[in-house]
Amino acid sequence: MTRRIAVLLLAMLVLAGCTSSGPVAHDPGRVVLPVKQVPVPGRLYATKGRALYRFSGTDLTRLRFGPRVKDPAVTSAGDRIAVAQLQDQSSTIVVSDPNGQNRQILTPSSLAEGSLWALAPAFDDDGHRIVYLTDRGKQPSSPQNLQPNDLGVWAYDLATGQTRRLVHPFAYTGGDSDPSYRPGVSDQLVYTTYLYGGAPLEPVARLTWMSLRTGATVYLSPDPGRNFEPALSRDGRFVAFIRGGAGGDDLCVMPLATTYTHELRPYPSDSAVLVQSGIVAQPVWAPDGSAIAFLKLVNGSFDLFILPIATDGAIHAAGAAQAVTHGSFLDADSRLAWSP
Amino acid sequence: MNHSPATGVPDAPGSRRVRWIALGAIALALALIGGVLIYLSPLLALLEPHEASVGRVAGAPAAPPPPLDSKQRINILLLGSDNDQKFQQDALLSQTMIVVSIDPSTHQVTMLSLPRDLWVEIPGHPSAKIDLAYAQGGAPLARATVEKAFKIPIHYYAWVGLNGLVRVVDRVGGVDLDVLHPVLDDNYPNDFSESGYGTERVYLAAGPQHLDGRHALQYVRSRHGDLLSDFGRSVRQQQLLLAIQQRVAGMDLVAALPTFARDLNGHVKTDLDLLRLTQLALFMRDLHPGDVHQAYISAYVRDATSSDGQQILVADWPAIHAYLRQLFGGDLLP
Repeated sequence: MTRRIAVLLLAMLVLAGCTSSGPVAHDPGRVVLPVKQVPVPGRLYATKGRALYRFSGTDLTRLRFGPRVKDPAVTSAGDRIAVAQLQDQSSTIVVSDPNGQNRQILTPSSLAEGSLWALAPAFDDDGHRIVYLTDRGKQPSSPQNLQPNDLGVWAYDLATGQTRRLVHPFAYTGGDSDPSYRPGVSDQLVYTTYLYGGAPLEPVARLTWMSLRTGATVYLSPDPGRNFEPALSRDGRFVAFIRGGAGGDDLCVMPLATTYTHELRPYPSDSAVLVQSGIVAQPVWAPDGSAIAFLKLVNGSFDLFILPIATDGAIHAAGAAQAVTHGSFLDADSRLAWSP
Repeated sequence: MNHSPATGVPDAPGSRRVRWIALGAIALALALIGGVLIYLSPLLALLEPHEASVGRVAGAPAAPPPPLDSKQRINILLLGSDNDQKFQQDALLSQTMIVVSIDPSTHQVTMLSLPRDLWVEIPGHPSAKIDLAYAQGGAPLARATVEKAFKIPIHYYAWVGLNGLVRVVDRVGGVDLDVLHPVLDDNYPNDFSESGYGTERVYLAAGPQHLDGRHALQYVRSRHGDLLSDFGRSVRQQQLLLAIQQRVAGMDLVAALPTFARDLNGHVKTDLDLLRLTQLALFMRDLHPGDVHQAYISAYVRDATSSDGQQILVADWPAIHAYLRQLFGGDLLP
């Protein structure tokens, strides 16, 4: 016992001499703005703890939009907002006006095939259609009879209420992610395809362009590689995305061609410009294309940043990223949305 | 009036003051020591030899642990089990087996995942999947099995159950990691239902994010939505270990260790002693991401069926040993 006590005391002394230089951040349970606030042009939406927040100028507003939501999306005019509303083990797409009034549930939480996920809504240019992710159409599954239940890309017509599947996912990949219509044209889609590639097999994420007119898909990034979370500029000319690698998850920007007929070599993503390194997630363009907002991991917390971007001539960051929040633990698995 | 008991001469006022000061100092020192002991007492409980408590004698490693002040490699076998209510608590399979090899001389760490379905010789038992060793003989047999098959000297072990992993992650304030694929599982085992049976639906978006203990467990346990099955799960388990290490790197160890120990008592078993645990915690805290290497033997195993019809993995042992010599140099058992 004496030896054990001596060991304890010695360990205590060693620890006391070697404490951390800075305490690890813990979730404060609220959105924290820095002392020197960064004004946000227009209205920028993000979620924290599955609650929806709006940043506008130096104002911060928590919107009453249901108990648990993620993946906000907003029309180009800013007059309608869509979110994925989460229940216990399912989710639905809900649209409303920007203050959460006049809510309309678009997708079912269950059908004959079982409970359903519906996630990541995105409006088209004129706000008439929504593209989103769902596992609808899957085979019923049980532990004795496992069936794939990956997320596919579907479209919802707000005028008619009709839905249709746009993309079948690869089985047992988790499915596709981050769909959005290309602004400026009505028949193009950009999203992330998840699959396995390389040898030996490894997880791969590829930026994918799709023609809704022909159904043709073209990969914009290589296999193997992890390029994901594409975000289109409001004029449809540029795409910001995350390039995952051993060193982190960097924010890159590349131009988009008017259309694609086949895979290009080198891939368009190969010549993308790195504009922000670190652990970055969920980029979204400012309505006027002058900046990109994103979430970045800083001292254990995902916080909201705005980076000025120049796209006339060579793409480059036109200044340093500015922190809109500080130590706020925003939901990095939830998209951002930005309207005028 | 006070008198000196030896002489009967009254004490001078200065002498009494010195005595009171001395008594006060002793009392303060005792209070401090007592406080420290109370503060660290959870660690004492955590570091008690656990295997003895389930009727097994803790087995000795094939090679003794290097001295604290040496620069020799230290290998720790990390074991993880589903230990919810549906399992017999003294016969748990080790669904996770990772050798964490620490080389103090180069300040490098290698994590080597051992697939649970690997067919091996289990000392004193018939050949079986490697995850059965822990069920049949606890950490000592798991250690002996790994040492025999892989020729890696295992100096220490640490076992964690489902609740333990959740508590570790929550205690460090959650982890930040890059979810490699969307995780969708309509038949995920409901880890925390009272019966231990039943399933729930799980969805985790892909990409960098912050996960609490429950969601981190879902990330590393789910196999349904992963074409790489158990190998994919090994990759995710190592990701989580790295993420925990990165969170610990920013923590105040004085404050954290006793609280950790209190939370984990009964959910973690280890034969690490306190000084080694402290030494490792300090070592891990100073690691940079580039110092940690992830290793797998997936290239040296193939699917097969055992004579009793089990789906297993069989190893190309010469190739595995050559690979391990690349990783560990001459630090393997003969």
